[in-house]
Amino acid sequence: MTTENITLGTDLSGSGPVEQPRHISQATLVMLLFLGSEAMLFASFFTAYFMVRFNVADNVWPPIDPATGKAFVLPIAVTGVNTLFLVSSSFTLWWGEHRLQHGDRKALERGLLVTIGLGLTFLVVQFNEYWHLGFSPQSQAFGTTFYTLTGLHGLHVIVGLCLLTICYVRARRRREFQPDRAPMLWASSLYWHFVDVVWVLLYFLVYLL
Amino acid sequence: MATHAPTHAPSGPGHDTGHHAPPPLSHWWKRAFVWVVSSIFAALGVTWFVRWAWGFSPLWNYEVYMTVIFAFMGIAFLIGIGCFDYWWDYLRGRKVSYEDHSMHGATSWKDYLRPNTDHKVIGIQYLVLTFMAFVVAGLYAEGVRAQLAQPGENFVNGQTYNGLFSMHATVMIFGFVIPVFSGLANYVLPLMIGAKDMAFPRLNALSFWLLVVAAVLLISAPAFGAFSAGWTAYPTLALQGSTGTTMFELAVQFAGASTIATALNFMVTIVTMRAPGMTVWRMPLLVWANATTSALVVFGTPFIAGSQFMNLFDRVMGTNFFNSANGGDVLMYQHVFWFYSHPAVYIMMLPGFGIVSEVIATFSRKPIFGYRAIAFSTVAIAILGFGVWAHHMFVSGMAAWIRIPMMMMTVLIAVPTGIKIFSWLGTMWGGKIHLKTPMLFAMGFIVTFTIGGLSGIYLGALPSDIAMHSTYFVVAHIHYVFFGGSVMTIFAGTYYWFPKMTGRMYNEKLGVWHFWLTFIGMNLTFFPMHWLGTQGMPRRVSDYAPRFANVNLFISIASLIMVAGTIVFFYNMIWSWAKGPKAPWNPWRGRTLEWLVSSPPSLFNFDVTPQVVGGPYQYGIPGARHAVVFAGPELGGGELTETDKRLVLVVADEAVASASLIEDIRRRSAEGYWRFTYVVPSNPDEHRAAERRLHAALAVLAENGVEANGTVIDAPPMQAIDSVMREDTVHEIILTTYPLGSSDWLDQDLVDRVRKAAGVGLTHLTVLPGEAHAAAASVAVEKVALIANYGIDDAGLTDLVKSRADAKPLSAIVLCPLSLDVPSGSPEAEDLRNEASGRTAILIARLQDAGIQTRGEVLDGSVAAAVKIARTAHRADIALLATRPGDQVEITDEITEAAGTMTVEQVTTDGHTSTAPGASEGR
Repeated sequence: MTTENITLGTDLSGSGPVEQPRHISQATLVMLLFLGSEAMLFASFFTAYFMVRFNVADNVWPPIDPATGKAFVLPIAVTGVNTLFLVSSSFTLWWGEHRLQHGDRKALERGLLVTIGLGLTFLVVQFNEYWHLGFSPQSQAFGTTFYTLTGLHGLHVIVGLCLLTICYVRARRRREFQPDRAPMLWASSLYWHFVDVVWVLLYFLVYLL
Repeated sequence: MATHAPTHAPSGPGHDTGHHAPPPLSHWWKRAFVWVVSSIFAALGVTWFVRWAWGFSPLWNYEVYMTVIFAFMGIAFLIGIGCFDYWWDYLRGRKVSYEDHSMHGATSWKDYLRPNTDHKVIGIQYLVLTFMAFVVAGLYAEGVRAQLAQPGENFVNGQTYNGLFSMHATVMIFGFVIPVFSGLANYVLPLMIGAKDMAFPRLNALSFWLLVVAAVLLISAPAFGAFSAGWTAYPTLALQGSTGTTMFELAVQFAGASTIATALNFMVTIVTMRAPGMTVWRMPLLVWANATTSALVVFGTPFIAGSQFMNLFDRVMGTNFFNSANGGDVLMYQHVFWFYSHPAVYIMMLPGFGIVSEVIATFSRKPIFGYRAIAFSTVAIAILGFGVWAHHMFVSGMAAWIRIPMMMMTVLIAVPTGIKIFSWLGTMWGGKIHLKTPMLFAMGFIVTFTIGGLSGIYLGALPSDIAMHSTYFVVAHIHYVFFGGSVMTIFAGTYYWFPKMTGRMYNEKLGVWHFWLTFIGMNLTFFPMHWLGTQGMPRRVSDYAPRFANVNLFISIASLIMVAGTIVFFYNMIWSWAKGPKAPWNPWRGRTLEWLVSSPPSLFNFDVTPQVVGGPYQYGIPGARHAVVFAGPELGGGELTETDKRLVLVVADEAVASASLIEDIRRRSAEGYWRFTYVVPSNPDEHRAAERRLHAALAVLAENGVEANGTVIDAPPMQAIDSVMREDTVHEIILTTYPLGSSDWLDQDLVDRVRKAAGVGLTHLTVLPGEAHAAAASVAVEKVALIANYGIDDAGLTDLVKSRADAKPLSAIVLCPLSLDVPSGSPEAEDLRNEASGRTAILIARLQDAGIQTRGEVLDGSVAAAVKIARTAHRADIALLATRPGDQVEITDEITEAAGTMTVEQVTTDGHTSTAPGASEGR
């Protein structure tokens, strides 16, 4: 009786077939929206950066560091190489996911491991940069915006690495993730690509521009 | 049928209600306590180590340590209380089940004090917490008014006053207005779209407990030195001051994370979990409003997070965001802050628009006017809302060229807002308006919000804003839009869904009192502030010129009217929640899906996924339907659907349950176009009797699948009919009376009078008194045979039958078996028979007067013979053998055999013989 009535009920409306729920994965959708939120968080710090740079400092950028009497210097070349590490990690992750489509679970695990390795390398190089920069977050608004932007990004790299590590643990221990259903993996890789894109933007706007 | 179907069983089939029994409440709180205490030491250790390793000097810095301690404590509490348990198992590679419902649902109040994944529990958790914050923030407001009652320092000093108004605004905004909408939507939104829960129930639980952390940080901030920079926390003022400011900045982070998580949850739920058939243009407007609000939260809130991080870093770490001596930009804070906080006023208003759309459509009994216009204007407000932030900064000294575009965008927002206001007015136009409490608040909202919108034009216009920016005009404006806008809609929504959430009805009279006290109190309090503002009284200052003294005293006194209203509100809510009458499924005859499930809904809302087949507001259109909902198997799998059948009013007194009336109603009901409301005019003396008759009649009709309800009204017939017709659109009246001569109503010429006054079709049905007292032929009414001889006229027996009838509708057959020792034709036998007939007649009269359909006779024969006649001739369900105390009749084999499958019970009367027939009911 139940099923008959359901059919009858939909016919009564006279507006065609019943719309089925969407087939987008909830994890993917929530991650996309969350990344929108994250983008706005970065945007707020970029706003600070641009207002400090174009409203206050005017065209003197990088400004003079009163402690040394010289302009602040950022290591463009080393960070450029580091940027390449991070960008390539997006491709290794993509490769792992791509191999999973062909059912190659071993390659997924390898892809994840290499990606995590590249991410860690990026963090270590960046930390080393902090150590040798010669100025601190308290050094003028320049130091403040530089450290908060890169620091916020570094925090996101750490979170991304945690997500990828969880994926690795789940893939290895529980043989999770099927070619057609791996929401956690999809969401984590979206996050990682986002972290990459933000870094490229950040490198361009803060280091190069 | 919706209003009469039984409540769902607490657990639906097909759901695993838990893999293991959840541990007791103390488990979670002990764990939380241990985590929080340990986190203090961890924070001290970590901070010390980092400062030592980095070579900071000095190692001790109070502000830094407190910041880390509070942040650690918040997170540790969340871990300890168990918000992360599932994810911790997941990330360790443990086996976890997505369908783990061990934390779902509440069976006692204790389940509300631990993380719970049931959106209904979370909704109530939110509402209770936020209304507590409302009280706290209201008390701060009264502190402000106490200080301002007279000029000079008469209550607190200036510094404390700054703390008072800062805390008032902060707790109201971050602790009440923003999250209370999350609470209401948490409860009703999944129900409205036909979902069993939110998309991410565990994230939902985390959102709530994040808010708990935020609320505790915020409310305990004054203990660490008041936070006194205003809720906007402008640097450099916010960089000074005590640790309370740090706690505010941390609390905003926790509250922000909470709202972002909730908003993500809402958006994913709305996109992926709508019931089959619920296209976006069939979504209730509350769903539209919350989808839009969630987008605002997701894309706006990170900006306040950013602004408060910057404040915190400048305060605690000595960074230079706002330090212009070191190249910082203090104006930048205002841009970042208002880029969130202007959309935030829509975060605080759009869900209210959604609530008002629901309430006004339901209580106007009309399809909402301009459904798509309201939906689109909601989206338009959200988009425009991101382009007007700098209208808060006209006098800040920002770049002058931004001001004109911002002003134009600001005034442009009046267009979509006006579309909404006119759509609501258009909905009410020509509708059948029911002035229930939610509707009163919705209509009050339209008035006050429009006033707030108009003063907004003055403040949005550059020239007048420059003049009035720092005056009480701004205070008047914000309270008209927040209190007259958001808070009024919050009250409307709370009353509207109170029956659904608690399963009980609130007290309507107290609700109306609350509305008028609030409405009058708020206008008396805030309207004079417009005048104060234009006269130049500055805001955010603890003192003022003596010429404002009288008006300020008036305002302070008027604010107490709102306090009185709020006390009435809380009394009503708490009392009704505990002791209010049981609520039906659909007390407002709403059309949206939440009204098609029980009140409160079952554990997983819908046992069978509902099918949406039409728009949500098709009021007054016969045959139109929004959704088809099927009951679970335990209810027989029948269809539960909202209908718009036309209403037939049935007016009857003693003939309520007569067979011919019921037969007439059944015949009409089969046509499928009608539903029925009984009104039984009565008086206080006969009220209970009338109710018993009505319950018997409704039971028979319900059994026959007739949609009917009814009330007993203690009023003359004309007045009773009038009161129903004010509430509902009646299409026809059936008036049932005794025949001419035995009917008071006909003597009063009632039929013609009703026909003239009502102006609708009227059917007059005549029922013989004997027929009115005949037992109804229905299994819904239990047939009770009363077998007794001496003692049959005891008052105790009448009371016994009446209390049985109150428990379950019944009809009675009185049998008085007379075992004659004398020849049956003899005068003695005749006397005995007359005496027995007299006794029996007394009982019959009493029961009939008590509203129980009763017939009876005196039999020649034994008790066993009477039992047999009860079973065969009267088809009784149960026989009661009534005796006086100490006068037991042995239930012999003969009686048992005569009874067959019928139950036989022995009852004892009290041995007290009442002499006045029918006296017990006062006729």
